[in-house]
Amino acid sequence: MVTLNVNGVRREVKAPDDTPLLYVLRNDLELIGPQFGCGLAQCGACSVLIDGKEARSCVTPVASVANQEIITLEGLPARWAKQKGLSGAEAKNTLHPVQQAWIEEQTPQCGFCQNGMMIKATELLESNPKPTLAQIKEAFTTSGPSPNLCRCGTYVAIIEAVQHAATIMAKGR
Amino acid sequence: MVTMSEKPANVMGPTLSRRGFIKAGGILVVGFSFVGPELLRGDTAKPTTFKNSLDPTLASSWIEIHPDNSVLIRTGKSDFGQGSTFTAYRQIVAEELSVPFEAITTVVSGHTDLTPDGSGAFDFLGHGTPNIRKAAAYTYQALLDVASEKLGVPKGKLSVKDGVVSGGGKSISYGDLVKNQQLKLTIPVKGDLTSIFGLTIEGNPPMKPVSEYTVIGKSFKNSIISTKVAAKETWATDVRLPEMLHARVVHPKTLGSTLVSAGSVDKTKFPNSRVIVKGNLVGVVAPTEWEAIQAADQVAAGTKWSEWKGLPGNAKLYQHLREEADWTSAPIEKSKESKGDVGPVLSSAHKRHAATYQLSYMKHAPIGPTMAVADVKSDGTVHIYVHNQNPQALRGEIATMLGTTPDHVIVHSYPGPGHYGRSNGGNSGAEDEAVLLSQAVGKPVRVQWTRADDMQWSTQAAAAFSDVQVAIDEKGKMAAYQIDHYMPAMQDDRPVGAVLAGLPSMSAPDVHSGGVTSTVNGIEDPWVYAPVPNVTERGHGTFQVGQKASPLAVGLRDHSMRTPGQFQQNYPRELAISEAAALAGADAIQFRIDHASEERAIGVLKAVRDSSGWDPRPSPRPDAVSTGATPVRGRGVSLMLRSGTYWACVCQIAVTPSTGAIVVEKYTIAVDPGIVVNPMQLKRNVEGGAVMGIGHALFEEVMFDESGITTEDWNSYPIPTMADIPEIKVVLLHNPKVGAYGGGSEAANALAAPAIAAALHDATGKIMRKLPMKPAYVQAVLKT
Repeated sequence: MVTLNVNGVRREVKAPDDTPLLYVLRNDLELIGPQFGCGLAQCGACSVLIDGKEARSCVTPVASVANQEIITLEGLPARWAKQKGLSGAEAKNTLHPVQQAWIEEQTPQCGFCQNGMMIKATELLESNPKPTLAQIKEAFTTSGPSPNLCRCGTYVAIIEAVQHAATIMAKGR
Repeated sequence: MVTMSEKPANVMGPTLSRRGFIKAGGILVVGFSFVGPELLRGDTAKPTTFKNSLDPTLASSWIEIHPDNSVLIRTGKSDFGQGSTFTAYRQIVAEELSVPFEAITTVVSGHTDLTPDGSGAFDFLGHGTPNIRKAAAYTYQALLDVASEKLGVPKGKLSVKDGVVSGGGKSISYGDLVKNQQLKLTIPVKGDLTSIFGLTIEGNPPMKPVSEYTVIGKSFKNSIISTKVAAKETWATDVRLPEMLHARVVHPKTLGSTLVSAGSVDKTKFPNSRVIVKGNLVGVVAPTEWEAIQAADQVAAGTKWSEWKGLPGNAKLYQHLREEADWTSAPIEKSKESKGDVGPVLSSAHKRHAATYQLSYMKHAPIGPTMAVADVKSDGTVHIYVHNQNPQALRGEIATMLGTTPDHVIVHSYPGPGHYGRSNGGNSGAEDEAVLLSQAVGKPVRVQWTRADDMQWSTQAAAAFSDVQVAIDEKGKMAAYQIDHYMPAMQDDRPVGAVLAGLPSMSAPDVHSGGVTSTVNGIEDPWVYAPVPNVTERGHGTFQVGQKASPLAVGLRDHSMRTPGQFQQNYPRELAISEAAALAGADAIQFRIDHASEERAIGVLKAVRDSSGWDPRPSPRPDAVSTGATPVRGRGVSLMLRSGTYWACVCQIAVTPSTGAIVVEKYTIAVDPGIVVNPMQLKRNVEGGAVMGIGHALFEEVMFDESGITTEDWNSYPIPTMADIPEIKVVLLHNPKVGAYGGGSEAANALAAPAIAAALHDATGKIMRKLPMKPAYVQAVLKT
């Protein structure tokens, strides 16, 4: 039995300690944001935030994150609402600025990798609210265990969405 | 509402209904139920359809208009990221029906039991007339008929705006027109539902004139992006059925290995796991995914396979194709643009270019490996939950495997990682395996391929080579052009699990297998240099590499991939044209313009010239250099016509001769699709394709030895990262006088390779005629 803190909620799961977090999230907790892309920490499709840092859930044993704050794509709106002190009603109808920007810029093609892209963008913008183009490229290529890969080639749209999200976040809503 | 009815009502009366619009040949009829379907179809062949699909001859199977004025559309096409079904299709239907975009509230796609047609996820826009447009056009005419009757105003005096029909001082909304009505509109359809091309709506219903468009041309958003981004979309990967088991497949050790003995699971460690063996198919099922993974690893370690060596290995691939492959069994295809007599012109040419161009195998490489959930019921009904690009064709393949009919197979489609054509012929890999394992255990089974499975057991884009000769006359013009394309069969639609299990499937590609799965190599790259007086274009085909040698009949299986066949033919052509321009001492863009007659081809060339800052001069650049550690810069161009759309691109690169590393610094691409349906969506498709094309040009090569594919992950099969992208400029040329909309999701990935290779020549004076242009390969070429 492992107790997890996922998206602000304590969840008890009956999974062997060495089970990769990804399978626990998807199969036990029905959180579908993170996707299985490689199981090798080579692509970023499975990314989540662990204590605010982007991590690859496909190679993270569930027991190793028992006492840490795990945020999935599903948890981004609430994270933003909390950071901005939005009311419960407001929070319900709000997406995280990164998600809003991803829609505004029509970023995804197939969208399978975009969970990781949005997690990476959130990590970046929380520490650097106004990243330069070079800093965005660095975040998505050298800052993590591997570059965040998109087979549809949506990198231009991702860059534009990160810049757009930075604008929304600067405005505060 | 206009919908299917059990007892068709005769609402119009014979006279009115017959005056729909009957065109030449009596094929095209809008009528109501008083006429039997056979009569309505006239001389149109009856389409091949099956139970558990909607009746395609009923317009309401495609488009439903509801009393609240909302509209639902259905298409068997399965969008995988192009966005066409959620944007362009809505716009096209809204336009033909004269309703607002927002009125189309629901798009049903892909599911075989909920849609009428079929076909692969290509050519969504159907050269300007996709099925859904005709369905809308027929429906519009029927609505006018009903309105004319109801309002007592002649049809010709009616007009429609925002779903409200007006005329003679009266008006009525579509919603009120269909309220409490059971209308049945029959339309003519032909084709085979489970074939790669599916069904086609026949006839020529009147269409809205392009000059009246108000919805097409605007950047409406793709609705599925919103649900995906909010984690509210159900992906195929998310499907969980009651009692579902997780499975992994232990694939053979080589592409020709047969099973000697299957390994077993340690029941003390994995008490709930089971090994299923069917022929050479070994599967491991367990209640949890982690147990299935671990148990499969254990089984794999204990499974014994025969050894096999029957592939040339990628280092000897070209030699094998050139010297050992059988190019004689398939008839040589000749393009219809071939003309004149190239032989004497080539042999007496003022200047002559002759060269061979080579392409490696490439993977579709979806960002998530293929997976499927199958549920084989005790009554023989099969449900498959999957991301698939041709669910109806998959139905047919699964039925063949099980010895049943497609009526018993239902494919439920969900979004998934794009695989760029891999399942256009039906399967992408795991579906048949899931079915066989579900059948064996009597429960739903979810098969998830690993990253290595996906690299090593999926199909790939075929390798190829081409021999080109160009004659240049005294005036610097192309007097003759000859190209011979050589490529193994480019599409093997056999489900690999069925093949491993020794169960029935379609035949392996050969000369008789027909259509896209044949060994015949057709000409896929339309000729765009019409003024060249003597042209010969020939296609030579053969079997897949290893297909005949493998005891499994597997080998290196190919499948069409984004811009299929045309990629393999346009790269040699366009690089050869750039070389011919250099030989003639001409600027590469001006040389193309001088040899083109089609205004739209010239238009895209001028657009990339103007937008990229191209300075006209011959290549290579005067100070070209092929040595040293200082980056040198060059530029190249390419041109393509695909699916009614003209494309040109300019790539500006920097190459470091000492390392061979190429960086694309600026990429300019011009697109003339005729009518631009949705500028934002087209731009995003083009940008993505452009980035993918940089990967095809610079990195992507399937590595294999004598036994199988050794490429296994993203390290051994690198694709572009954000660090690899240049400044990308997309120029959309809206050209309404064309009167149709061409495709926009392909081609962009094929343009970079010949342009980058020409740019390398421009920068260094050295020519590389092989893909990909990996640093080590480039380095070797620059040393020659």
